[in-house]
This record gives sequence, structure tokens and C-alpha cells, in this order.
Amino acid sequence: MVKTNLTKFVRRVHDTRDTEISCSVCLDLVSQYVDLEISTGDAAGKLPQVKQHLDQCQVCSEEYQVLRQLAVLEAEQRLPIDEELINQLKK
Amino acid sequence: MPGTRSNQEWLDALSNQGIQQEIALEELRRLLLRAALFTLVTHLADLHEMPEEERLALAEECAQEAMMTVLVRLGDFRGDSKFTTWAYKFGINIALSRARRWRWKQVSLDDLADDDGTLNWFQRDERLQTADSEQPVRQREVVEVIREVLRTQLTARQRQTLKLIAFDNVPMDVVVQRLDSNRNAVYKLLHDARLKIKQQLVRRGYDLAEVMDLFQ
Ligand SMILES: [Zn+2]
Repeated sequence: MVKTNLTKFVRRVHDTRDTEISCSVCLDLVSQYVDLEISTGDAAGKLPQVKQHLDQCQVCSEEYQVLRQLAVLEAEQRLPIDEELINQLKK
Repeated sequence: MPGTRSNQEWLDALSNQGIQQEIALEELRRLLLRAALFTLVTHLADLHEMPEEERLALAEECAQEAMMTVLVRLGDFRGDSKFTTWAYKFGINIALSRARRWRWKQVSLDDLADDDGTLNWFQRDERLQTADSEQPVRQREVVEVIREVLRTQLTARQRQTLKLIAFDNVPMDVVVQRLDSNRNAVYKLLHDARLKIKQQLVRRGYDLAEVMDLFQ
């Protein structure tokens, strides 16, 4: 089923905490979160406040996803070369 | 090759003077350009109407801006991640923000203003979906509670921000730019709005897990 905005919003209301970290704190911690995820697979358990923010905040979540992709490629030594990226950017 | 320097080697090289620093700065510049290029490639839809040559220039500008941010914030690096992961995030943050603003630059948020007072915007998808069937009573009750909180307990700014981000799918960075604000302030508006709605539902005896099930 396609989730409507109201469905997503009700879930976010349900998941709301009295205190939540800000976007700046999330940016501060997200690199640690990604590296923990890659090395231990349990970033959410160690930094639950980051997971909670990422579930609530679309922009921070999109940044996290790109960072994770890039960090995984680097860990696997599969980083794309610049020329490849430049060609894709021109498409 | 990134990843070949340890965190301490990165910090030492960047804080030193001379040739070692120059080499490290050039390596950092390339690393941040890669982050910007990679980000823009993964979000090409945002740049759909941008001419090719401007895309590359945008990536270079983002890398340059990220370079300044990284150097200013070098003292904040605590070593709890790889240095490269830490640096990449600034390139990604800047590039995604710029891409979103580009995509939305022609859209006037005034056209999305909450000006008819009916607050129907927050349930318009449901109305479409349930046009031929009666919305379950419990679901309708919850919608009325939310509508009342929106109308009576939120400020106009909270209501408008919530509408734009959660219901019109305007990226927060675009709202931040148009309100001449910052992410933390806008996130707080949203958080306060969610919290008020949650508290009102709880106060009126709703079980939030059940409420969520009603809308799945
Ligand atoms: Zn955020």
C-alpha cells in the first residue's frame, strides 16, 4: 500500500519523543553512526537518538543514505573514479 | 587513495606547514569533490533542468565550500569515525542542500500557503482514497482531534511549516531558505507541533499504537 502523507505523519507523531536531537547534532554524529553501522551493524542500538532523528527528518535521512553508500564503497575499495562520476553527471 | 592515511596522519598533515600540508589539502579537495559529484549523481532528478556544464561547476563549488567547512571544523573532529567519513558528510550536506534549492527555485511557497482556513490539506490524500467508502469512525475522530490541535494549539508558523514539509513534501532546506531561518529552528517547529498533537491524543485517552494502526 502506498503510504500517504497523513499515514507517515501519524507514524511520526507516534514516534515523537519529549526531547529529540537537532539537525546539527545529527550531522555531528552521523559519521560515527555510519561507521558503527559498517563495522558493527548496530548503530541504532549505540546511538538511538540519531536513529530517532533520521526517522523523523527527511533531509538528514537523505544525507545519511548518501554518506552510507559512499562509506560502504570506500570500505570495499570500490569508490568510483571522478571521470566516471562526471560522465554520469552529464547524462 | 583515500583511506590510506590514519585519522592522526590526516590531522597531523593538515595542521602542519609546508609540502605535507599541501599534499594533504589537495587530497582533501579531491575527496570532497568526489563526495559532491557522488551526491549530485545520486540526485540527478533534482538537476533535471540544469545545463551540463553548470552541474560540474556546482560540484566544484560545493567541494570548495565543504573544504572551508572542514578546515574551520577540524578541531571538532573527535576521531569517533574515519576522517574520510567525517569529511564526506560536509560535502554531501552542502551538495544535497544546493540540489534541492535548485529544484525548487521556481516554486513559490506563497502558492502553498495555508490560507483557506479549512485545514483540509492534511487529509486530502485520504479523502481521495476514500471517496467511495465511508471513512471508519475512529479514524475520522482522530482526524478531528488533529484538526482541532492544528487550529487551536499551533502557531501560524508551526502550522505553515508542518504543511509545507510534511504534507506538500517541500524539502526542509527550501523552507529554511525562504523563511531565512536554519534547520534547527525549523526542526524544532515541527517537533513542537508533533509533540502537541501526541500529547492531546494521549490526554483524550487514545492509545497511540492503535491510532497508528488505524492509518496503516
Ligand atoms: Zn534533521
